Amino acid sequence: MCIVPFFITLAQERNGAMREKYYILTNNPMVAGKLSEDHKVVFMELSFEEILKEARSRIHSGQSLLTHPLSGSVKPNETPYKSLLIGEAKPTTEELAFTLELIETAIAACGKFRAKGDKYAQDFQLIDYTLIKSAVESADMGI
Amino acid sequence: MRLEMGHIYIRDIQFAAESKIADGVLYVSEEALKAVVLEDEKLKSVSFDIAKPGESVRITPVKDVIEPRVKVEGRGGQFPGVIAKVDTVGEGKTYALKGMAVVTAGKIVGFQEGIIDMTGPGADYTPFSQTLNLVMVAEPVEGLKQHDYEAAVRFAGFRVAVYVGELARELTPDEVKVYETPTMMEGLKLYPDLPRVAYVQMLQSQGLLHDTYVYGVDAKKILPTILNPTETMDGAIVSGNCVSACDKNPTYVHQNNPVVEDLFAQHGKTLNFVCQIITNENVYLADKMRSSDWTAKICKMLDLDGVIVSQEGFGNPDTDLIMNCKKIEAEGVKTVIITDEYAGRDGKSQSLADADVAANAVVTGGNANEVVILPKLDKVIGTLDYVNKIAGASEDTLRPDGSLEVELQVITGATNETGFLKLSAR
Repeated sequence: MCIVPFFITLAQERNGAMREKYYILTNNPMVAGKLSEDHKVVFMELSFEEILKEARSRIHSGQSLLTHPLSGSVKPNETPYKSLLIGEAKPTTEELAFTLELIETAIAACGKFRAKGDKYAQDFQLIDYTLIKSAVESADMGI
Repeated sequence: MRLEMGHIYIRDIQFAAESKIADGVLYVSEEALKAVVLEDEKLKSVSFDIAKPGESVRITPVKDVIEPRVKVEGRGGQFPGVIAKVDTVGEGKTYALKGMAVVTAGKIVGFQEGIIDMTGPGADYTPFSQTLNLVMVAEPVEGLKQHDYEAAVRFAGFRVAVYVGELARELTPDEVKVYETPTMMEGLKLYPDLPRVAYVQMLQSQGLLHDTYVYGVDAKKILPTILNPTETMDGAIVSGNCVSACDKNPTYVHQNNPVVEDLFAQHGKTLNFVCQIITNENVYLADKMRSSDWTAKICKMLDLDGVIVSQEGFGNPDTDLIMNCKKIEAEGVKTVIITDEYAGRDGKSQSLADADVAANAVVTGGNANEVVILPKLDKVIGTLDYVNKIAGASEDTLRPDGSLEVELQVITGATNETGFLKLSAR
Protein backbone atom coordinates (compact mmCIF):
# COMPACT_ATOMS: atom_id res chain seq x y z
CA MET A 1 0.00 0.00 0.00
CA CYS A 2 1.34 3.42 -0.85
CA ILE A 3 -0.21 6.83 -0.31
CA VAL A 4 1.09 9.62 -2.46
CA PRO A 5 0.99 12.68 -0.22
CA PHE A 6 2.01 15.03 -3.04
CA PHE A 7 -1.42 14.86 -4.61
CA ILE A 8 -3.12 15.60 -1.31
CA THR A 9 -1.03 18.58 -0.33
CA LEU A 10 -1.16 20.16 -3.75
CA ALA A 11 -4.91 20.13 -3.96
CA GLN A 12 -5.88 20.82 -0.38
CA GLU A 13 -5.29 24.55 -0.66
CA ARG A 14 -7.16 24.87 -3.96
CA ASN A 15 -10.07 22.91 -2.56
CA GLY A 16 -10.72 25.48 0.11
CA ALA A 17 -13.24 27.51 -1.87
CA MET A 18 -15.39 24.55 -2.86
CA ARG A 19 -18.86 24.25 -1.43
CA GLU A 20 -18.49 20.67 -0.36
CA LYS A 21 -15.06 19.32 0.32
CA TYR A 22 -14.44 16.09 -1.39
CA TYR A 23 -11.50 14.10 -2.59
CA ILE A 24 -10.95 11.35 -5.12
CA LEU A 25 -9.98 7.97 -3.70
CA THR A 26 -8.37 5.96 -6.48
CA ASN A 27 -6.00 3.18 -7.45
CA ASN A 28 -5.82 4.55 -10.99
CA PRO A 29 -2.58 6.36 -11.82
CA MET A 30 -4.22 8.12 -14.78
CA VAL A 31 -6.80 9.71 -12.46
CA ALA A 32 -4.06 10.79 -10.08
CA GLY A 33 -2.04 12.21 -12.97
CA LYS A 34 -4.84 14.07 -14.72
CA LEU A 35 -7.02 15.30 -11.86
CA SER A 36 -4.57 16.09 -9.09
CA GLU A 37 -3.76 19.53 -10.46
CA ASP A 38 -7.25 20.83 -9.67
CA HIS A 39 -8.53 18.29 -7.18
CA LYS A 40 -7.53 16.52 -4.06
CA VAL A 41 -6.57 12.96 -4.95
CA VAL A 42 -5.71 10.11 -2.59
CA PHE A 43 -3.92 7.50 -4.66
CA MET A 44 -3.41 4.06 -3.15
CA GLU A 45 -1.85 1.03 -4.78
CA LEU A 46 -4.66 -1.36 -3.93
CA SER A 47 -6.71 -3.92 -5.81
CA PHE A 48 -10.23 -3.13 -7.00
CA GLU A 49 -11.76 -4.91 -4.02
CA GLU A 50 -9.29 -3.37 -1.57
CA ILE A 51 -10.07 0.15 -2.76
CA LEU A 52 -13.77 -0.52 -2.15
CA LYS A 53 -12.92 -1.78 1.35
CA GLU A 54 -10.80 1.31 1.93
CA ALA A 55 -13.80 3.45 0.94
CA ARG A 56 -15.95 1.44 3.37
CA SER A 57 -13.50 2.15 6.21
CA ARG A 58 -13.62 5.84 5.40
CA ILE A 59 -17.44 5.82 5.43
CA HIS A 60 -17.34 4.08 8.81
CA SER A 61 -14.97 6.75 10.06
CA GLY A 62 -17.52 9.49 9.29
CA GLN A 63 -16.98 10.46 5.66
CA SER A 64 -19.53 10.33 2.82
CA LEU A 65 -19.59 8.28 -0.34
CA LEU A 66 -20.55 10.59 -3.22
CA THR A 67 -20.38 8.25 -6.24
CA HIS A 68 -21.74 4.84 -7.08
CA PRO A 69 -19.13 2.14 -6.42
CA LEU A 70 -20.35 0.02 -9.35
CA SER A 71 -20.02 2.78 -11.94
CA GLY A 72 -19.30 1.55 -15.43
CA SER A 73 -20.14 -1.65 -17.20
CA VAL A 74 -16.60 -2.95 -16.97
CA LYS A 75 -17.25 -5.29 -14.09
CA PRO A 76 -15.52 -5.60 -10.74
CA ASN A 77 -12.30 -7.59 -11.18
CA GLU A 78 -12.54 -7.28 -14.97
CA THR A 79 -10.95 -3.88 -14.61
CA PRO A 80 -8.28 -3.44 -11.94
CA TYR A 81 -9.13 0.27 -11.53
CA LYS A 82 -11.70 2.08 -9.42
CA SER A 83 -12.07 5.70 -8.41
CA LEU A 84 -14.61 7.10 -5.95
CA LEU A 85 -15.50 10.55 -4.66
CA ILE A 86 -15.46 10.80 -0.88
CA GLY A 87 -17.00 13.77 0.91
CA GLU A 88 -15.35 15.04 4.04
CA ALA A 89 -18.65 16.15 5.58
CA LYS A 90 -20.36 13.68 7.89
CA PRO A 91 -23.33 11.97 6.23
CA THR A 92 -26.83 11.95 7.71
CA THR A 93 -27.98 8.66 9.24
CA GLU A 94 -30.08 7.99 6.16
CA GLU A 95 -27.17 8.73 3.79
CA LEU A 96 -24.89 6.56 5.87
CA ALA A 97 -27.24 3.59 5.69
CA PHE A 98 -27.76 4.08 1.94
CA THR A 99 -24.08 4.37 1.05
CA LEU A 100 -22.99 1.55 3.34
CA GLU A 101 -25.44 -0.71 1.57
CA LEU A 102 -24.07 0.41 -1.80
CA ILE A 103 -20.47 -0.27 -0.83
CA GLU A 104 -21.26 -3.63 0.81
CA THR A 105 -23.17 -4.76 -2.27
CA ALA A 106 -20.30 -3.66 -4.49
CA ILE A 107 -17.77 -5.58 -2.40
CA ALA A 108 -20.00 -8.66 -2.52
CA ALA A 109 -20.27 -8.33 -6.32
CA CYS A 110 -16.50 -8.61 -6.72
CA GLY A 111 -16.71 -12.39 -6.46
CA LYS A 112 -19.23 -12.61 -9.30
CA PHE A 113 -16.87 -11.69 -12.08
CA ARG A 114 -13.67 -13.26 -13.31
CA ALA A 115 -10.38 -11.46 -12.93
CA LYS A 116 -8.48 -10.42 -16.03
CA GLY A 117 -4.92 -9.55 -16.86
CA ASP A 118 -3.64 -6.06 -17.31
CA LYS A 119 -2.82 -6.20 -21.01
CA TYR A 120 -5.10 -3.25 -21.65
CA ALA A 121 -4.28 -1.37 -18.46
CA GLN A 122 -4.21 2.00 -20.22
CA ASP A 123 -7.68 1.46 -21.67
CA PHE A 124 -9.11 0.33 -18.33
CA GLN A 125 -7.54 3.41 -16.72
CA LEU A 126 -9.08 5.62 -19.40
CA ILE A 127 -12.61 4.28 -18.87
CA ASP A 128 -12.32 4.63 -15.09
CA TYR A 129 -10.99 8.17 -15.62
CA THR A 130 -13.96 9.19 -17.82
CA LEU A 131 -16.42 7.70 -15.31
CA ILE A 132 -15.01 9.59 -12.34
CA LYS A 133 -14.52 12.74 -14.40
CA SER A 134 -18.25 12.79 -15.12
CA ALA A 135 -18.86 12.72 -11.36
CA VAL A 136 -16.23 15.39 -10.69
CA GLU A 137 -17.94 17.66 -13.21
CA SER A 138 -21.24 17.17 -11.39
CA ALA A 139 -19.63 17.67 -7.98
CA ASP A 140 -17.94 20.89 -9.05
CA MET A 141 -21.29 22.33 -10.23
CA GLY A 142 -22.83 22.20 -6.76
CA ILE A 143 -23.20 20.10 -3.69
CA MET B 1 -48.49 14.25 -32.51
CA ARG B 2 -49.01 11.92 -35.48
CA LEU B 3 -46.29 10.00 -37.29
CA GLU B 4 -46.83 7.81 -40.31
CA MET B 5 -44.14 5.13 -40.53
CA GLY B 6 -43.62 3.66 -44.00
CA HIS B 7 -41.87 0.29 -43.98
CA ILE B 8 -39.81 -0.69 -46.99
CA TYR B 9 -38.70 -4.30 -46.81
CA ILE B 10 -35.13 -5.03 -47.87
CA ARG B 11 -34.51 -8.67 -48.87
CA ASP B 12 -30.92 -8.36 -50.11
CA ILE B 13 -27.92 -6.02 -50.06
CA GLN B 14 -25.36 -5.96 -52.88
CA PHE B 15 -22.38 -3.77 -53.63
CA ALA B 16 -22.84 -2.05 -57.00
CA ALA B 17 -21.53 0.86 -59.06
CA GLU B 18 -24.62 2.92 -58.33
CA SER B 19 -26.54 3.20 -55.06
CA LYS B 20 -30.29 2.55 -55.35
CA ILE B 21 -33.12 0.43 -53.99
CA ALA B 22 -35.01 -1.66 -56.55
CA ASP B 23 -37.45 -4.51 -55.94
CA GLY B 24 -36.47 -4.77 -52.31
CA VAL B 25 -32.75 -4.99 -53.06
CA LEU B 26 -30.37 -2.38 -51.70
CA TYR B 27 -27.59 -1.79 -54.23
CA VAL B 28 -24.91 0.32 -52.63
CA SER B 29 -21.73 1.85 -53.97
CA GLU B 30 -18.81 1.04 -51.70
CA GLU B 31 -16.95 4.09 -53.03
CA ALA B 32 -19.85 6.38 -52.18
CA LEU B 33 -20.07 4.90 -48.67
CA LYS B 34 -16.34 5.38 -48.15
CA ALA B 35 -16.61 9.00 -49.21
CA VAL B 36 -19.41 9.54 -46.67
CA VAL B 37 -17.26 8.12 -43.87
CA LEU B 38 -13.96 9.69 -44.84
CA GLU B 39 -15.33 13.23 -45.03
CA ASP B 40 -14.24 13.22 -41.38
CA GLU B 41 -10.50 13.79 -41.42
CA LYS B 42 -10.15 11.95 -38.10
CA LEU B 43 -10.79 8.68 -39.93
CA LYS B 44 -7.93 7.30 -42.00
CA SER B 45 -9.60 4.38 -43.73
CA VAL B 46 -12.80 2.38 -43.77
CA SER B 47 -13.94 -0.97 -45.10
CA PHE B 48 -17.46 -2.23 -45.72
CA ASP B 49 -18.79 -5.75 -45.71
CA ILE B 50 -22.20 -7.39 -45.91
CA ALA B 51 -23.32 -10.08 -43.45
CA LYS B 52 -26.52 -11.99 -44.15
CA PRO B 53 -28.65 -14.17 -41.87
CA GLY B 54 -27.47 -17.79 -41.91
CA GLU B 55 -23.95 -17.01 -43.15
CA SER B 56 -20.98 -18.33 -41.19
CA VAL B 57 -19.96 -14.82 -40.13
CA ARG B 58 -19.07 -13.30 -36.75
CA ILE B 59 -19.08 -9.49 -36.38
CA THR B 60 -17.01 -8.16 -33.46
CA PRO B 61 -16.40 -5.83 -31.68
CA VAL B 62 -19.74 -4.21 -32.46
CA LYS B 63 -20.15 -0.58 -31.51
CA ASP B 64 -23.61 0.41 -32.74
CA VAL B 65 -26.47 -0.88 -34.87
CA ILE B 66 -28.60 1.61 -36.78
CA GLU B 67 -31.71 1.30 -38.95
CA PRO B 68 -31.62 3.53 -42.06
CA ARG B 69 -34.59 5.91 -42.15
CA VAL B 70 -35.57 9.02 -44.07
CA LYS B 71 -37.91 11.86 -43.14
CA VAL B 72 -40.15 12.47 -46.12
CA GLU B 73 -42.73 14.85 -44.59
CA GLY B 74 -42.82 16.98 -41.48
CA ARG B 75 -40.36 18.88 -39.36
CA GLY B 76 -36.69 18.05 -39.03
CA GLY B 77 -34.59 15.18 -40.27
CA GLN B 78 -33.00 11.98 -38.99
CA PHE B 79 -30.86 12.22 -35.82
CA PRO B 80 -31.76 15.84 -34.94
CA GLY B 81 -28.99 17.75 -33.23
CA VAL B 82 -26.49 15.13 -34.40
CA ILE B 83 -26.82 14.85 -38.19
CA ALA B 84 -29.93 16.92 -39.03
CA LYS B 85 -30.33 20.42 -37.61
CA VAL B 86 -32.07 20.72 -34.27
CA ASP B 87 -35.82 20.63 -34.76
CA THR B 88 -38.59 18.75 -32.99
CA VAL B 89 -39.15 15.49 -34.84
CA GLY B 90 -41.77 12.77 -34.49
CA GLU B 91 -44.56 14.04 -36.73
CA GLY B 92 -45.26 13.75 -40.44
CA LYS B 93 -43.98 10.83 -42.46
CA THR B 94 -40.85 8.69 -42.08
CA TYR B 95 -39.72 5.69 -44.12
CA ALA B 96 -37.66 2.89 -42.55
CA LEU B 97 -35.67 0.19 -44.33
CA LYS B 98 -36.85 -2.93 -42.53
CA GLY B 99 -34.85 -6.14 -42.42
CA MET B 100 -31.46 -4.43 -42.59
CA ALA B 101 -29.08 -2.48 -40.39
CA VAL B 102 -25.89 -0.50 -40.51
CA VAL B 103 -23.46 -2.02 -38.00
CA THR B 104 -20.37 -0.12 -36.86
CA ALA B 105 -17.52 -2.30 -35.64
CA GLY B 106 -13.88 -1.95 -34.70
CA LYS B 107 -11.66 -1.40 -31.71
CA ILE B 108 -12.05 1.77 -29.68
CA VAL B 109 -10.48 0.32 -26.54
CA GLY B 110 -8.78 -3.03 -26.09
CA PHE B 111 -11.44 -4.78 -24.05
CA GLN B 112 -14.38 -3.73 -26.15
CA GLU B 113 -17.20 -6.04 -27.17
CA GLY B 114 -19.87 -7.27 -28.46
CA ILE B 115 -20.56 -10.11 -30.83
CA ILE B 116 -23.15 -10.66 -33.56
CA ASP B 117 -23.09 -14.22 -34.97
CA MET B 118 -25.10 -14.66 -38.16
CA THR B 119 -25.48 -18.42 -37.62
CA GLY B 120 -25.14 -21.09 -34.93
CA PRO B 121 -26.04 -20.89 -31.25
CA GLY B 122 -24.83 -17.28 -30.96
CA ALA B 123 -27.35 -16.21 -33.58
CA ASP B 124 -30.11 -17.48 -31.31
CA TYR B 125 -29.21 -14.82 -28.73
CA THR B 126 -28.91 -11.65 -30.82
CA PRO B 127 -31.79 -10.04 -32.71
CA PHE B 128 -29.25 -8.67 -35.20
CA SER B 129 -28.55 -12.14 -36.61
CA GLN B 130 -31.88 -11.70 -38.39
CA THR B 131 -31.04 -8.47 -40.21
CA LEU B 132 -29.02 -7.99 -43.39
CA ASN B 133 -26.07 -6.10 -41.98
CA LEU B 134 -24.02 -3.50 -43.80
CA VAL B 135 -20.94 -3.51 -41.60
CA MET B 136 -18.51 -0.60 -41.36
CA VAL B 137 -15.03 -0.87 -39.83
CA ALA B 138 -13.25 2.50 -39.66
CA GLU B 139 -9.64 3.12 -38.64
CA PRO B 140 -8.52 6.38 -37.00
CA VAL B 141 -5.65 8.59 -38.06
CA GLU B 142 -2.54 8.03 -36.01
CA GLY B 143 -2.52 9.53 -32.54
CA LEU B 144 -6.29 10.13 -32.36
CA LYS B 145 -7.53 9.95 -28.77
CA GLN B 146 -10.15 7.29 -27.99
CA HIS B 147 -12.78 9.92 -27.17
CA ASP B 148 -12.41 11.50 -30.59
CA TYR B 149 -12.26 8.12 -32.31
CA GLU B 150 -15.44 6.97 -30.57
CA ALA B 151 -17.25 10.16 -31.62
CA ALA B 152 -15.94 9.93 -35.20
CA VAL B 153 -17.16 6.34 -35.60
CA ARG B 154 -20.48 7.20 -33.97
CA PHE B 155 -21.11 10.12 -36.35
CA ALA B 156 -19.88 8.14 -39.38
CA GLY B 157 -22.37 5.36 -38.64
CA PHE B 158 -25.22 7.88 -38.57
CA ARG B 159 -24.04 9.50 -41.81
CA VAL B 160 -23.97 6.10 -43.52
CA ALA B 161 -27.46 5.27 -42.21
CA VAL B 162 -28.76 8.63 -43.47
CA TYR B 163 -27.09 8.09 -46.87
CA VAL B 164 -28.74 4.67 -47.21
CA GLY B 165 -32.08 5.93 -45.87
CA GLU B 166 -32.16 8.74 -48.43
CA LEU B 167 -32.24 6.11 -51.20
CA ALA B 168 -35.81 5.33 -50.09
CA ARG B 169 -37.13 8.90 -50.27
CA GLU B 170 -39.06 8.47 -53.53
CA LEU B 171 -40.19 4.87 -52.93
CA THR B 172 -43.66 3.64 -52.03
CA PRO B 173 -43.69 1.81 -48.68
CA ASP B 174 -44.69 -1.86 -48.53
CA GLU B 175 -46.59 -1.18 -45.30
CA VAL B 176 -47.72 1.91 -43.42
CA LYS B 177 -48.29 2.18 -39.65
CA VAL B 178 -49.68 5.25 -37.91
CA TYR B 179 -48.66 6.28 -34.39
CA GLU B 180 -50.55 9.09 -32.72
CA THR B 181 -50.62 10.52 -29.22
CA PRO B 182 -53.16 13.20 -28.29
CA THR B 183 -52.34 16.20 -26.13
CA MET B 184 -52.98 15.83 -22.39
CA MET B 185 -56.42 17.48 -22.54
CA GLU B 186 -57.45 15.62 -25.69
CA GLY B 187 -56.34 12.34 -24.12
CA LEU B 188 -58.48 12.96 -21.04
CA LYS B 189 -61.54 13.64 -23.20
CA LEU B 190 -60.92 10.73 -25.58
CA TYR B 191 -60.16 8.08 -22.98
CA PRO B 192 -61.73 9.21 -19.68
CA ASP B 193 -62.00 5.65 -18.36
CA LEU B 194 -58.63 4.28 -19.42
CA PRO B 195 -55.61 4.21 -17.11
CA ARG B 196 -53.02 6.88 -17.90
CA VAL B 197 -49.73 5.11 -18.57
CA ALA B 198 -46.27 6.43 -19.47
CA TYR B 199 -42.96 4.85 -20.34
CA VAL B 200 -39.98 5.83 -18.19
CA GLN B 201 -36.81 5.10 -20.14
CA MET B 202 -33.51 5.20 -18.27
CA LEU B 203 -30.51 6.13 -20.43
CA GLN B 204 -26.86 5.14 -19.94
CA SER B 205 -24.91 8.26 -18.96
CA GLN B 206 -21.60 7.53 -17.25
CA GLY B 207 -18.63 8.24 -19.52
CA LEU B 208 -16.72 7.02 -22.57
CA LEU B 209 -18.51 4.05 -24.17
CA HIS B 210 -21.27 4.51 -21.56
CA ASP B 211 -23.12 7.52 -23.02
CA THR B 212 -26.39 8.38 -24.77
CA TYR B 213 -27.40 11.55 -26.58
CA VAL B 214 -30.83 13.21 -26.76
CA TYR B 215 -31.21 15.71 -29.62
CA GLY B 216 -27.41 15.90 -29.51
CA VAL B 217 -27.26 16.59 -25.75
CA ASP B 218 -25.17 14.31 -23.54
CA ALA B 219 -27.77 12.53 -21.39
CA LYS B 220 -25.57 13.08 -18.30
CA LYS B 221 -26.51 16.74 -18.52
CA ILE B 222 -30.26 16.43 -18.90
CA LEU B 223 -32.93 16.73 -16.28
CA PRO B 224 -35.68 14.14 -16.70
CA THR B 225 -38.09 15.32 -19.34
CA ILE B 226 -40.98 14.18 -21.50
CA LEU B 227 -41.02 13.19 -25.16
CA ASN B 228 -43.65 12.22 -27.61
CA PRO B 229 -42.84 8.55 -28.14
CA THR B 230 -42.71 9.11 -31.90
CA GLU B 231 -39.70 11.44 -31.49
CA THR B 232 -37.45 8.46 -30.85
CA MET B 233 -38.59 6.89 -34.14
CA ASP B 234 -36.88 9.79 -35.96
CA GLY B 235 -33.61 9.33 -34.07
CA ALA B 236 -34.08 11.77 -31.17
CA ILE B 237 -32.12 9.37 -28.93
CA VAL B 238 -28.86 7.83 -30.16
CA SER B 239 -26.42 5.43 -28.58
CA GLY B 240 -22.83 6.16 -27.58
CA ASN B 241 -22.42 3.00 -25.53
CA CYS B 242 -21.62 -0.65 -26.13
CA VAL B 243 -20.21 -2.25 -22.93
CA SER B 244 -21.63 -4.65 -21.74
CA ALA B 245 -23.18 -5.40 -25.11
CA CYS B 246 -25.99 -7.62 -23.86
CA ASP B 247 -28.01 -4.94 -22.09
CA LYS B 248 -27.12 -1.74 -23.90
CA ASN B 249 -29.46 -0.11 -26.36
CA PRO B 250 -27.96 0.35 -29.80
CA THR B 251 -29.54 3.21 -31.76
CA TYR B 252 -31.64 0.59 -33.61
CA VAL B 253 -33.39 -0.26 -30.31
CA HIS B 254 -34.23 3.40 -29.65
CA GLN B 255 -35.69 3.64 -33.17
CA ASN B 256 -37.68 0.40 -32.67
CA ASN B 257 -38.28 0.40 -28.91
CA PRO B 258 -40.65 -2.53 -28.19
CA VAL B 259 -42.03 -0.87 -25.03
CA VAL B 260 -43.15 2.08 -27.15
CA GLU B 261 -44.46 -0.27 -29.85
CA ASP B 262 -46.47 -2.37 -27.36
CA LEU B 263 -47.86 0.65 -25.52
CA PHE B 264 -49.02 2.09 -28.84
CA ALA B 265 -50.66 -1.27 -29.63
CA GLN B 266 -52.75 -0.92 -26.43
CA HIS B 267 -53.27 2.85 -26.75
CA GLY B 268 -56.97 3.71 -26.76
CA LYS B 269 -57.90 0.09 -26.03
CA THR B 270 -56.72 -0.87 -22.56
CA LEU B 271 -54.73 2.25 -21.66
CA ASN B 272 -53.99 5.85 -22.58
CA PHE B 273 -50.31 6.07 -23.58
CA VAL B 274 -49.60 9.57 -22.29
CA CYS B 275 -45.91 10.09 -23.07
CA GLN B 276 -42.35 8.89 -22.76
CA ILE B 277 -40.27 10.15 -19.83
CA ILE B 278 -36.50 9.98 -20.13
CA THR B 279 -34.02 10.05 -17.29
CA ASN B 280 -30.33 9.24 -16.82
CA GLU B 281 -28.01 6.92 -14.87
CA ASN B 282 -25.18 9.12 -13.64
CA VAL B 283 -22.24 8.14 -11.44
CA TYR B 284 -22.65 10.98 -8.92
CA LEU B 285 -25.12 10.03 -6.19
CA ALA B 286 -26.62 13.53 -5.92
CA ASP B 287 -27.43 13.34 -9.64
CA LYS B 288 -29.27 10.07 -9.01
CA MET B 289 -31.23 11.70 -6.21
CA ARG B 290 -32.16 14.69 -8.38
CA SER B 291 -33.11 12.65 -11.43
CA SER B 292 -35.24 10.14 -9.52
CA ASP B 293 -36.95 13.00 -7.63
CA TRP B 294 -37.76 14.69 -10.93
CA THR B 295 -38.95 11.50 -12.60
CA ALA B 296 -41.37 10.82 -9.75
CA LYS B 297 -42.47 14.47 -9.74
CA ILE B 298 -43.25 14.37 -13.48
CA CYS B 299 -45.26 11.14 -13.02
CA LYS B 300 -47.29 12.84 -10.30
CA MET B 301 -47.80 16.06 -12.28
CA LEU B 302 -49.09 14.05 -15.24
CA ASP B 303 -51.61 12.25 -12.99
CA LEU B 304 -50.37 8.90 -14.22
CA ASP B 305 -51.87 5.65 -13.03
CA GLY B 306 -48.92 3.51 -14.05
CA VAL B 307 -45.52 3.47 -15.71
CA ILE B 308 -43.25 0.93 -17.29
CA VAL B 309 -39.61 1.62 -16.36
CA SER B 310 -36.79 0.19 -18.47
CA GLN B 311 -33.20 0.14 -17.27
CA GLU B 312 -30.07 0.25 -19.44
CA GLY B 313 -27.09 -1.65 -18.04
CA PHE B 314 -26.55 -3.04 -14.55
CA GLY B 315 -24.79 -2.31 -11.26
CA ASN B 316 -24.77 1.47 -10.99
CA PRO B 317 -28.13 1.74 -12.86
CA ASP B 318 -29.70 -0.85 -10.52
CA THR B 319 -29.63 1.91 -7.91
CA ASP B 320 -31.34 4.40 -10.27
CA LEU B 321 -33.91 1.74 -11.17
CA ILE B 322 -34.87 1.09 -7.57
CA MET B 323 -34.82 4.79 -6.64
CA ASN B 324 -37.15 5.52 -9.56
CA CYS B 325 -39.41 2.61 -8.63
CA LYS B 326 -39.65 3.54 -4.94
CA LYS B 327 -40.25 7.23 -5.52
CA ILE B 328 -42.79 6.76 -8.33
CA GLU B 329 -44.71 4.19 -6.26
CA ALA B 330 -44.62 6.59 -3.30
CA GLU B 331 -46.50 9.10 -5.49
CA GLY B 332 -49.29 6.53 -5.91
CA VAL B 333 -48.27 5.50 -9.42
CA LYS B 334 -47.91 1.77 -10.13
CA THR B 335 -44.67 0.58 -11.67
CA VAL B 336 -43.52 -2.37 -13.72
CA ILE B 337 -39.73 -2.45 -14.05
CA ILE B 338 -37.70 -4.16 -16.77
CA THR B 339 -34.16 -5.24 -15.94
CA ASP B 340 -31.77 -8.13 -16.53
CA GLU B 341 -29.76 -10.20 -14.08
CA TYR B 342 -26.13 -10.77 -13.13
CA ALA B 343 -26.79 -13.83 -11.04
CA GLY B 344 -23.39 -15.50 -11.51
CA ARG B 345 -22.52 -18.35 -13.86
CA ASP B 346 -24.56 -20.76 -11.74
CA GLY B 347 -27.46 -18.32 -11.43
CA LYS B 348 -27.35 -18.49 -7.64
CA SER B 349 -26.07 -15.00 -6.78
CA GLN B 350 -28.11 -11.90 -6.02
CA SER B 351 -29.47 -10.76 -9.40
CA LEU B 352 -29.51 -7.01 -8.85
CA ALA B 353 -27.24 -4.69 -6.90
CA ASP B 354 -30.29 -3.11 -5.27
CA ALA B 355 -33.83 -4.12 -4.35
CA ASP B 356 -36.97 -2.86 -2.60
CA VAL B 357 -40.42 -4.16 -1.72
CA ALA B 358 -41.92 -1.51 -4.03
CA ALA B 359 -40.36 -3.42 -6.94
CA ASN B 360 -43.07 -6.06 -6.89
CA ALA B 361 -43.65 -6.24 -10.66
CA VAL B 362 -40.40 -7.09 -12.43
CA VAL B 363 -39.69 -8.32 -15.93
CA THR B 364 -36.24 -9.81 -16.60
CA GLY B 365 -34.24 -10.06 -19.81
CA GLY B 366 -32.29 -13.07 -18.51
CA ASN B 367 -29.02 -13.88 -16.72
CA ALA B 368 -26.12 -12.12 -18.44
CA ASN B 369 -23.60 -14.39 -16.66
CA GLU B 370 -24.95 -17.51 -18.37
CA VAL B 371 -22.17 -19.31 -20.26
CA VAL B 372 -22.51 -20.22 -23.93
CA ILE B 373 -20.09 -21.84 -26.39
CA LEU B 374 -19.89 -20.12 -29.75
CA PRO B 375 -18.35 -22.39 -32.42
CA LYS B 376 -15.69 -21.13 -34.81
CA LEU B 377 -17.26 -19.41 -37.82
CA ASP B 378 -15.70 -19.15 -41.29
CA LYS B 379 -15.38 -15.40 -41.42
CA VAL B 380 -14.81 -12.61 -38.91
CA ILE B 381 -15.72 -9.01 -39.72
CA GLY B 382 -13.76 -6.76 -37.39
CA THR B 383 -11.24 -8.67 -35.30
CA LEU B 384 -10.99 -11.42 -32.70
CA ASP B 385 -7.78 -9.83 -31.34
CA TYR B 386 -9.63 -8.41 -28.36
CA VAL B 387 -12.13 -11.15 -27.73
CA ASN B 388 -10.36 -12.35 -24.59
CA LYS B 389 -10.83 -8.89 -23.16
CA ILE B 390 -14.47 -8.25 -23.79
CA ALA B 391 -16.81 -8.15 -20.81
CA GLY B 392 -17.98 -11.62 -19.96
CA ALA B 393 -14.90 -13.19 -21.51
CA SER B 394 -11.78 -14.50 -19.81
CA GLU B 395 -8.21 -15.44 -20.72
CA ASP B 396 -9.41 -18.86 -21.91
CA THR B 397 -12.30 -17.49 -23.95
CA LEU B 398 -10.70 -18.21 -27.33
CA ARG B 399 -10.22 -21.98 -27.29
CA PRO B 400 -7.69 -23.94 -29.41
CA ASP B 401 -10.38 -25.12 -31.83
CA GLY B 402 -11.40 -21.52 -32.50
CA SER B 403 -14.62 -21.68 -30.51
CA LEU B 404 -15.42 -19.11 -27.84
CA GLU B 405 -16.53 -19.76 -24.27
CA VAL B 406 -18.31 -16.61 -23.20
CA GLU B 407 -21.02 -15.24 -21.00
CA LEU B 408 -24.16 -13.82 -22.63
CA GLN B 409 -22.82 -10.38 -21.74
CA VAL B 410 -20.69 -10.28 -24.87
CA ILE B 411 -23.55 -10.83 -27.30
CA THR B 412 -25.11 -7.66 -28.63
CA GLY B 413 -28.67 -7.36 -27.34
CA ALA B 414 -28.79 -10.80 -25.64
CA THR B 415 -30.50 -9.59 -22.42
CA ASN B 416 -31.83 -6.25 -23.65
CA GLU B 417 -33.90 -4.44 -21.05
CA THR B 418 -36.49 -2.97 -23.42
CA GLY B 419 -37.48 -6.48 -24.49
CA PHE B 420 -35.69 -6.18 -27.84
CA LEU B 421 -34.19 -9.66 -27.50
CA LYS B 422 -34.63 -13.31 -28.41
CA LEU B 423 -34.73 -14.87 -24.93
CA SER B 424 -38.17 -15.73 -23.66
CA ALA B 425 -39.80 -17.69 -20.87
CA ARG B 426 -42.72 -18.61 -23.04
